[in-house]
Amino acid sequence: MKRRLASSLAALLSAAAALSACQGSEDQGPVNLSKGVPVGAVLALTGNANVYGQDQKIGIELSLAALNGAGGVNGKPLSLSIEDGGSAEPSANAAVSLEINRGILALIGPTLSQQSFSAGPIAQRRGVPLVAPSNTATGIPEIGYFISRVSAQSSVIAPLSIAKALQLNPGIRRAAVFYAQDDAYSTAETVIFQQALTAKGLKPVTVQRTQLNDQDFQSQITAALNQKPDLVVLSLQAMDGGNLIRQLRELGYRGAIVVGNGMNTPNIYPICQKYCDGILIAQAYSPELQTPANQRFTAAFAAAQARNPKVSPIPPQLTAQAYTAMQVIGEALARLDRRQPLKGLPLAQARKALMAEILGGTYQTPLGEIRFTPEGEVIQKNFFVAQVRMNAGGKSGRFSLLP
Amino acid sequence: MDAGLLEQMLLGALLGLSVYLPLRCGQLSLATPGFFAIGGTVAALLSTRVPALAGSGSTYPITSVLLEMALAALLTGVLALGLGRVVLRLRGIYLAIATIALVEILRVVTLNLEFTGGALGIFGIPQPFDSAAGYAAFTLALLALICWLCDRLEKNRPGRAMAAIRDDELAAASQGINTADTKLLAFVLSALVAGITGVVAAHFLNSWNAKLGNFDASITTLAFVVFGGSRTWLGPVFGGLLLTALPELLRPVGDLRLIVFGAVILVGPLFFPKGVITPELFKSFKRRIRGTPTAAAQGVKP
Repeated sequence: MKRRLASSLAALLSAAAALSACQGSEDQGPVNLSKGVPVGAVLALTGNANVYGQDQKIGIELSLAALNGAGGVNGKPLSLSIEDGGSAEPSANAAVSLEINRGILALIGPTLSQQSFSAGPIAQRRGVPLVAPSNTATGIPEIGYFISRVSAQSSVIAPLSIAKALQLNPGIRRAAVFYAQDDAYSTAETVIFQQALTAKGLKPVTVQRTQLNDQDFQSQITAALNQKPDLVVLSLQAMDGGNLIRQLRELGYRGAIVVGNGMNTPNIYPICQKYCDGILIAQAYSPELQTPANQRFTAAFAAAQARNPKVSPIPPQLTAQAYTAMQVIGEALARLDRRQPLKGLPLAQARKALMAEILGGTYQTPLGEIRFTPEGEVIQKNFFVAQVRMNAGGKSGRFSLLP
Repeated sequence: MDAGLLEQMLLGALLGLSVYLPLRCGQLSLATPGFFAIGGTVAALLSTRVPALAGSGSTYPITSVLLEMALAALLTGVLALGLGRVVLRLRGIYLAIATIALVEILRVVTLNLEFTGGALGIFGIPQPFDSAAGYAAFTLALLALICWLCDRLEKNRPGRAMAAIRDDELAAASQGINTADTKLLAFVLSALVAGITGVVAAHFLNSWNAKLGNFDASITTLAFVVFGGSRTWLGPVFGGLLLTALPELLRPVGDLRLIVFGAVILVGPLFFPKGVITPELFKSFKRRIRGTPTAAAQGVKP
């Protein structure tokens, strides 16, 4: 019987090795330019974060078309491979490894901060530049030299909307805070909101906790309304946040509402409809920014969306940030190629030089002018506070930039 | 060869074995992700908060990982021992519900405790190996050891007692088998395997959060066993390896890959109701090797 154990183990191991061998690895040798300059993206196209990934995919593809339309990397086209990183850590890790094994020069993604905490160290160990387009948690660029992001962290953005709410209505005295306690984004951002409120002398009168998949918020809202708040601050995702706003208004709340980055998407319009009107949000991107880079981007986005009359022709922040991530990599590659031609350059050396080039540049993007700190944190000039203005039917609306 | 995928497959196989152990006794326990999460949290906390474990080298010392494993095993073992006494009074679907409750309680506790990092979790977990290949080799050794123990369990007295309880608990009890203790043994062994696996997974994933041990994971790990088969240890190992690898191997299919994956999970139990790997499969395989091809080919049962 011992033979059976040994033989079954051996069979299993060879089967496992054969299965995992289906994915090849090529870290050595020169950059493979046969199909173009290879760049990868790992986005959450499935799972509960898939709406974010879909928004990002549009941005990256628009940016790719713009870059290749303008000659790619000094005449060589960029070739992009997008992989689904799912909405969990193991799937993101697998997708990142897969992309790196393909011999890509730089990687965009993953979508969620938690995924970056898990997959970022892989890119760091393998020496592959990773530009995160949507991670807002503290500590992402600190993962290592090769990790950077174009998404400003929430500690920079979130307090702006509180300040704006107080500017619009200096009489605000009692703030109520809501957040989803099982969501990483939500718990991280609410800390920043609460600090910002306290700094303004508005210690929250109540902090209500919800769950990401909740539909009904009656009990939390009733508890909060008993405290007679005149400002409600939400750190919630689009779905639960939209529902909560709707129920909040239906239960008679008339005061100001400030929301966080999770609701920074036109996807909230169909959820809270007319009740979305008037909510305040701080943004890292405004479609109303009048710069050539942003006008090119919004025009390209509107043209791409024209095929589907149901969707908004105004780009959301996630799309703009993903566009920016691709643009940063494309421009850095072009500069690198002029300095050290990519052809014949060893892959590992090219990746390292590209990282230095990414960090060294200044970029005119849809987000405005951006640069990076030596650590890889984005330095962005403009931030915005917008107010949602819903159209008469309550079906569509826009983020209207506040002066 | 991508060692990262191999490592995830091996972790899947270990979790499959953890679900399989109580099933050997006929106990449908879905507590595996709960104990897995305890193991992961122990490893994440110890390796990020206890400087004494970090050692002096560039990589995290393997002895510290072994120490974390010992602690995780101790914690999960004690918890399973205390809890098992109570919940194993339940049978069938009621036991499944009670163990789901355990997984949920652990998840909510992790979310609400300050030192486990809430929903964001713990990140920056140090690495005992430079590459995924190191993890794969280590986990392979661990899997081989646990497979060997499971193989022993199919032949020794407690193991046979477990099989007897699975077939008929009342008959087993009338034969003088202490059914409560035997079921408890299987439950504790399952918890130990899951806890140890969590330690390796936490290091491998670089970060740990409450989402990794949720109800979804209960169902995924159960699928490993249902798909692979619950009669021999080879079944869950096969199921764990294959079902973890499949979503990755199906990437060329594109957007349809999760649909194909779902279809495979559906088709498996439909055509192999006892799982893909069963003792009968071994017997027919053995017959063929021993040179009675006619009997096997004609499907004649001995």
